Amino acid sequence: MRDPGRDSGWRRVWDEPLFKTGVGIVGLLAVVGLLLTALNDIGEISFDFMASHWSFLLRYALTSLEATVISFAVGFGLAIPMGLVRAFGPGMIRRGGLARGVASPLYAIVTGYAEVIRGTPALVQIFLIQFWVTSTFQGVPGISLWAGIAALSVNTTGYQTEVFRAGFQSVGQGQIEAAKSIGMRPTQTFASITFPQGLRLITLPLANEWIALFKASSLLWLIAVQELLWGMDYIGTKLNHPIDAFILGSFFYLAILIPLSRAVTFLERVKRIPGLGVAEPQRRALFAARFARLDRV
Amino acid sequence: MIDREKPMVEVRKVRKSFGDLEVLRGIDMQVKKGEVLVIVGPSGSGKSTLLRCINLLIQPDSGDIFLEGVKVNDPDIRPEWVRQQIGMVFQSFNLFTHLTALKNVMLGLTKVKRLDGLEAEKIARYELERVGLADKADAYPAQLSGGQQQRVAIARALALNPKVMLFDEPTSALDPEFIHEVLDVMTKLANEGMTMVVVSHEMGFAKSVADELIFMDNGVIVEVGVPEEVFASPKTDRMRAFIGKILG
Ligand SMILES: Nc1ncnc2c1ncn2[C@@H]1O[C@H](COP(=O)(O)OP(=O)(O)O)[C@@H](O)[C@H]1O
Ligand SMILES: [Mg+2]
Repeated sequence: MRDPGRDSGWRRVWDEPLFKTGVGIVGLLAVVGLLLTALNDIGEISFDFMASHWSFLLRYALTSLEATVISFAVGFGLAIPMGLVRAFGPGMIRRGGLARGVASPLYAIVTGYAEVIRGTPALVQIFLIQFWVTSTFQGVPGISLWAGIAALSVNTTGYQTEVFRAGFQSVGQGQIEAAKSIGMRPTQTFASITFPQGLRLITLPLANEWIALFKASSLLWLIAVQELLWGMDYIGTKLNHPIDAFILGSFFYLAILIPLSRAVTFLERVKRIPGLGVAEPQRRALFAARFARLDRV
Repeated sequence: MIDREKPMVEVRKVRKSFGDLEVLRGIDMQVKKGEVLVIVGPSGSGKSTLLRCINLLIQPDSGDIFLEGVKVNDPDIRPEWVRQQIGMVFQSFNLFTHLTALKNVMLGLTKVKRLDGLEAEKIARYELERVGLADKADAYPAQLSGGQQQRVAIARALALNPKVMLFDEPTSALDPEFIHEVLDVMTKLANEGMTMVVVSHEMGFAKSVADELIFMDNGVIVEVGVPEEVFASPKTDRMRAFIGKILG
């Protein structure tokens, strides 16, 4: 049997989420690296080409990132009130009177919006909005990027609305009643209870939406936005190195997405509140229990 | 000079229906300052609805609610102003799950009373100490036992210095071993002169602490009296049957 005293130090390090992630990524990179080296050696791909063109692609990667960050932020801002309407509209409608008069049309509009956005292809939305924006603002420099950002914003707003709806709905009625009972006004209840609790419950789906949106930003290539996919295609075609260009570009997507999703997971664990959201890291508790038992033997 | 006779809370001819179901069918009751009123009655008889009407979590369909002689179910009166003067303790505790015990108690002080953080913290720590939980200030609700959560909930209500405290079956969601610690806190409060309306089937508590006991059934008050007398010699068959049931 292993010596638990010496082992547990290692176990603690191994149990660190950051350490595990690090090992995973380094391992994966090693495997991919070996494969690529082999391909490079037989002349299928060219490291030299990649090394001399990565800085060219960086500019375009930043454009993709910019489009994603701006549209995600716009979507986030719009999805909060829209998610509120989705979550609490039906209750207000049931109450009748003035509440019903205000809530009914709002609820119908927001629900329709979310259904249409989630029920049609993102590319169709992008084309539609691009036609409208470019014909309205003809000749404005850089307008295709702004049309693309507008389209991605419209798209992610629909998805984020549903994410927020789910988050707000899963905040218990008892929480809201307790807030009311100490004399908090509806806006205070939302700011201090519903929003912070809801946000915790939806951290993961929100991160997933960010990831999906970043990848969807490659669709903007089809409306001539000079983003990462456009850059890959440009050097790939022009210099006749398509495979190298696409592999290189893929690394940019990964280099942005993997650290981000890891950071979210890490933050979620560090900032975790007992009884809310993510479950307790079970392995650590299991190891602790096992060693406690060994100590006593 | 405190007028001991002026009712702290008075309920007059209150009626409330949910759809076709009339849950309160003309309730009249009052609690004087410093008194403890215990309400008993079978499940579904309207006890929770009555408490919720008193602090306006529910608007009565008709009838009046007075707090220290002021009619509070009035369109000119903000329900938030009424609620911050009335403490409420729920069967299921309803502590804010994302806040520590201390922050739970502080929230009303900073948001509703608009005290600054330091002052709010001082009061909150004092209230936690009053319920015997000074050492649990940094614990989250999920890290506390049911009895401890309910005591934090009491501290949260007390922090706003309410004129009256409403308790809706505060011990019925608790494991038996935690019931006494909550009842102890409530007894202490009553002895300090807090005005209380308590929905509870804890007969020992009612007998030793309550000034008056109300038996509700089917949305009406069936019997009122001094707890010991009502329990010893119920005047109505319904009350007799009910006592038989809670004694098992
Ligand atoms: N918000 C509500 N909507 C519809 N029916 C309700 C609501 N609240 C309570 N009721 C009904 O009113 C009756 C009395 O409920 P309640 O006041 O909770 O009784 P008790 O607390 O005495 O058990 C029950 O039949 C309950 O189902
Ligand atoms: Mg009840």
